[in-house]
Amino acid sequence: GDENPEEAKSSAVASSQIFHSDGGEMEPDTMEIKSVSEFFTKMHMGSLMSRQRG
Amino acid sequence: MEVSCLELALEGERLCKVGDYRAGVSFFEAAIQVGTEDLQVLSAIYSQLGNAYFHLHDYAKALDFHRHDLTLTRTIGDLLGEAKASGNLGNTLKVLGRFDEAVVCCQRHLDIARDINDKVGQARALYNFGNVYHAKGKSICWSGAEPGDFPEDVMIALKKAAEYYEANLAIVKELGDRAAQGRTYGNLGNTHYLLGNFGKAVASHEQRLLIAKEFGDRSAERRAYCNLGNAFIFLGEFEVAAEHYKRSLQLARQLKDRAVEAQACYSLGNTYTLLQDYERAIDYHLKHLIIAQDLNDRIGEGRACWSLGNAHTALGNHDQAMHFAEKHLEICKETGDRSGELTARMNVSDLQTVLGLSYSTNNSTLSENKEIDYNLHGAKPRMSRRHSMENLELMKLTPDKMNVRT
Repeated sequence: GDENPEEAKSSAVASSQIFHSDGGEMEPDTMEIKSVSEFFTKMHMGSLMSRQRG
Repeated sequence: MEVSCLELALEGERLCKVGDYRAGVSFFEAAIQVGTEDLQVLSAIYSQLGNAYFHLHDYAKALDFHRHDLTLTRTIGDLLGEAKASGNLGNTLKVLGRFDEAVVCCQRHLDIARDINDKVGQARALYNFGNVYHAKGKSICWSGAEPGDFPEDVMIALKKAAEYYEANLAIVKELGDRAAQGRTYGNLGNTHYLLGNFGKAVASHEQRLLIAKEFGDRSAERRAYCNLGNAFIFLGEFEVAAEHYKRSLQLARQLKDRAVEAQACYSLGNTYTLLQDYERAIDYHLKHLIIAQDLNDRIGEGRACWSLGNAHTALGNHDQAMHFAEKHLEICKETGDRSGELTARMNVSDLQTVLGLSYSTNNSTLSENKEIDYNLHGAKPRMSRRHSMENLELMKLTPDKMNVRT
């Protein structure tokens, strides 16, 4: 799907709560993601590059 | 063997990616316990902890961690990191109803994205901005009024939301980001709906539907059908609304989402009431009732009983109507719904009068009872409530006034 994979399914929500979510069903919030692994990879690549250059 | 902060954080990251936020949180907190001197790693841990708590709906903790991340990124002069922390903090403050502070965060997110010429970041900040103003508008004066007929400050906030969504759309179209366009069309559609621009709402939700289909995203598709149904109700096109609600019901069943299946049945019941097809209305309200009972949703059950009582009254089935009116009364007492209780008491009393009359008028048939309603409406003014169900008045009569639109 095109959505946030984390988008919660509403099955856990009682229908009464949905009846109060007036004004239409909204799209999911988009949270900004930071990642240790990405940072780690970049850092690792960086040190490899500098080693090659050196 | 000692486990490093980085290893713990990587495991936390993996768990969050597969949706196990609870376990992810444990690993991230363990990583913090071990500690690291690398402030970029620490920032990523704070940020992910904030997001994990956000997904777990623990917004107070989400706020704490996104704040820690913001402070940290500012300290080390990490601009991109600060922009991201501001965005996440803004979303969290929005959920907590702290809109003014949320706006400041969105602005910071947007300013940094502009400074570093980050188009994706700008678009994301604009989407968040729209969401904050949409939520603000809804929070000010929500219940009681009809879309397009809200107080001035509500309309101002909603108009701002629409402007931010439009600004976002201009960028994501330029970037060719269809997924982002889909989300924005959905929320823009809901904003137009609240502003009373139902034609524009339909146009937006149709775009949303198209994109959901492109991605095979059935959950987004179901949302679009439901939102389209709501807009068509207000355009007075009940048959079209019913068709959209039916698609939404089919998808809810495919997705095995009982709560939204119940919602679709309820909307269909209300739509058929508007179409004066009370048999079908009863059919869908019964389906809604069964699911509400399965889900142990007493409030939903109460609404189903109220609706069923009205539909049976419209058909002249006063015995059945009485059964549901009494059940509605019992549930309202249990759930402490005072206004619902008052409505239910009036219904029971009306029906007692009608049933009393039917027995005293030499066993008149049920269809004759219907005639009595019309003929005696002067003597029993409250019965006129049912006749007004023939038009959109239904929505003003529902217990929380907004049911048809859910």
